[in-house]
Amino acid sequence: MPRELYALIGPSTPALSAQLAKPRLKQKPNFGGTAPRTKWELRTFKNPARKDGLELRHWEKVGADSAADYPFAKYDIQPNSYQYSPEEYTRLLEDKDWTKEETDYLLSVVKEYDSRWYIVHDRYNFPGGHERTLEDLKDRYCSVCRKLIRNRPWAGDDAGKTLLISSYQFDKEREVTRKKYLKSLEDRTPDQMAEEEALYIEVKRLEQSERRFKRDRENLLRTLAGIDSGLPDIVEDDPLPLAILEGSKTKTKKTKGVAEAESPATPAAAPAPTVKKPIKSAAYDAQHCIIRTETLSAAIATKAAHQPAYLRSFKLPAPKAAIAPKVTQALAELGISHTRLVMPTRENALLLDSLIEATTTLVETKRAYDKAEYEIQVLENRLGLREKSQPAEGAEGKIEGGAGMDVNDAQVGKEVEETDGEDGRAQSILSARSGGRSRKHARRSMSISSVDTVSTRANNKRQKRN
Amino acid sequence: MVNYGGDEVSALVIDIGASSVRAGYAGDDCPKAIIPTSYGYHPAPPDADVTMSDGAENIDAVNKSKFANIYIGQSGPSIWREGMEVGNPMVEGLIQDFNPIKPLIDHALEKTMRVNSSEHPILVTEPTWNTPANRERMAEIMFEEFNVPAFYIANTGVLNAFAAGKGSALVIDVGQSMASVTPVVDGFVLRKGLSYSPLPKLIHAHARHILISPTPHRRGIELLPHQLIANKTLVDAGAPPKFTIRQDRIAGTTESWRNWAETREIDEWVQSVAGVLDQGWNDAVAAQRTARQYEFPTGYNNYFGLERFQVGEQFFTHSPQLVASNPNLPKTIPQLITEALRACDPELRQVLMGNVVLTGGGTLFSGFADRLTAELTRSFPHTKIHAPGNPVERRYGGWLGGSILASLGTFHQLWISKEEWQEHGKPIVGQRCK
Repeated sequence: MPRELYALIGPSTPALSAQLAKPRLKQKPNFGGTAPRTKWELRTFKNPARKDGLELRHWEKVGADSAADYPFAKYDIQPNSYQYSPEEYTRLLEDKDWTKEETDYLLSVVKEYDSRWYIVHDRYNFPGGHERTLEDLKDRYCSVCRKLIRNRPWAGDDAGKTLLISSYQFDKEREVTRKKYLKSLEDRTPDQMAEEEALYIEVKRLEQSERRFKRDRENLLRTLAGIDSGLPDIVEDDPLPLAILEGSKTKTKKTKGVAEAESPATPAAAPAPTVKKPIKSAAYDAQHCIIRTETLSAAIATKAAHQPAYLRSFKLPAPKAAIAPKVTQALAELGISHTRLVMPTRENALLLDSLIEATTTLVETKRAYDKAEYEIQVLENRLGLREKSQPAEGAEGKIEGGAGMDVNDAQVGKEVEETDGEDGRAQSILSARSGGRSRKHARRSMSISSVDTVSTRANNKRQKRN
Repeated sequence: MVNYGGDEVSALVIDIGASSVRAGYAGDDCPKAIIPTSYGYHPAPPDADVTMSDGAENIDAVNKSKFANIYIGQSGPSIWREGMEVGNPMVEGLIQDFNPIKPLIDHALEKTMRVNSSEHPILVTEPTWNTPANRERMAEIMFEEFNVPAFYIANTGVLNAFAAGKGSALVIDVGQSMASVTPVVDGFVLRKGLSYSPLPKLIHAHARHILISPTPHRRGIELLPHQLIANKTLVDAGAPPKFTIRQDRIAGTTESWRNWAETREIDEWVQSVAGVLDQGWNDAVAAQRTARQYEFPTGYNNYFGLERFQVGEQFFTHSPQLVASNPNLPKTIPQLITEALRACDPELRQVLMGNVVLTGGGTLFSGFADRLTAELTRSFPHTKIHAPGNPVERRYGGWLGGSILASLGTFHQLWISKEEWQEHGKPIVGQRCK
């Protein structure tokens, strides 16, 4: 560009560089990251489930193995079907109601529709044949298959064969009856349905009133003749009468003899339990290892009082809760666990029961012995004290004794609270006299008799709160 | 790929109904091309030269004998043309006239979807009462004229059940011309249980009767389409309309086009105004419902109260005087259902009533689903009705089922290939498409 011409542009000189530089466009975002893009291609494929050479096209990943089998071909499962030769037919499958042609046709239709019986029945149309029900078709087909399986050589084991035969089992009569019931159930008119409903409600109502009547009768009998004279077969679980029962149980127990004597004529009370028991010979029981236990609830047959069947191992004998840990400890020393019985037979349960009883007695004897021992010790100590204090001055001792008594009185209260009711009385007398020292002893003895004190502590707390 | 069982081979699905032809790719959720089945045409004068005018389709030599021009698609019969006749190949749900089928499918595939039919397997639907001759003819058209590599013809009842995700169902299909109840078990139709009737035709006729016959409150309504009206002025409800007719067009309007246009007016009135009461007919309840206003192309408008429910009631009950005057009335929906169930095994009835599928554009009739539910639960307390709320799914259920079926990997062994067609001929259709 000549200089003169350039000067004509004037002061507004355009920046040549800006004009010549290529415009910068916004960077395209890279969504795929650095991972290579998956390439797909349209490929033709052959379906091995087809018998012809149809080639369809679908998209496949480039890396995928194109020689691999078509993945959906494996779903083409042909049902196994039975064929028979003419000899087999004449020998085994003759049926006066079916011709061979129709049987052939039936088998082909069943095969065509994969034993979908509703469809088979729908499409079944044998030229010249008469109308057949679904049950007819299924019965014929199943019987043909059963006969063929039964009479052909079988490669596998007998169990497999019977299993296969049983899979073709079909009870036509039963199916027909079932369908008939189903149909009659559906064919009810609204009137019939309403009537049925009404009848059902009526029956319920009758049942209820009968039950109420029975209950009333039982209550009446009970008020007249006592608890044991109720009706035996009443099945009623009203919570209210039951509560009354519970309350009256203890009361009536005392008067049981009187009540029985007074109402010998109460109708069903006495004979009922004997009726319930199956009158079978003892020999039968022995032979079948049946041991009959006396049911306690024979008198009152309420639902709540009923004892359901249970596993013997669920109700193993357990020691009294108060001394349970001591018993456990004692047994543990011998290497016995009473909570678990490997073979909870009746004999074993009884043995365990007697073992626990014996241990309980042992523990209790031990405790009584400990108590006596301790008392002896305390008394000996006191005797020792008295012998020592005998030579000291009387007046001083008296004043001190008076003050001491006060203190002791307060302590006595505590002592009483801290000790159990049983031996509490003895100890309180004891501590009232012995004071602080005896308390110390008591503490020690408590630590020796481990379990009992725990429970007594608990008792004490309750007492305090009271 | 195997997880959802789909393997798309870009198959096409064509569903030909009385009101529209649906076509689209298998695997899509709605058809790509929806064109009216009715077509306009100029009949070919005997031995006359074929003139191609604006908007006309290419016609093969086969069709030349009948149509000089054929007008298909959205701007087919709905555009007024002088001397244009309107035809519909469907009669009672079946293809009666195969002449326009080729142009119709051609239009859907080549003009609308712009695909080459020789590259895609094609699945076509058929109603359950289709004849073997008809389906074989369809196969022939597909293989010989469209040159498809593979073909399958599937039942609309089964496809509707598939569209609802069910193998066994009682499909209640109310279309434009036919209402049918089809029991489907395990993907097969129970043919003995099929029942169908041209009930929608009766509804239509009833609606026409209500509209054109004068009542004490109003005079008969003229069902003139807007194509024949030059202008109109606003009038009050119930007042006589003020409009001018396009006199220039009256002379050139054919009877069939007029019929088609009136039918459309009635259909539109039915679709926007008519309804059905949900708890059975009750004069008091019907009178209580608010009246709806509707304006016809002539400008005439009125409120329709009681009579709009009388139309819908025809779906469920026929009035005794109507029965007395016409013994051959089409069966109502409850009658169809009862008949279908009676033909089924008693064991199946409970299964079917638990899987009722409601489909077809006719079921979009206002209040239809509610009424049907009320009717069915009265006799079958455990009825469950599957009625898609989406109108596309309801109207094109058959196409949707076909779209699902043709995109399944396991289905591809069922196609009838061209090779098989050439080898076995027509019987293969009956063997393969059970």
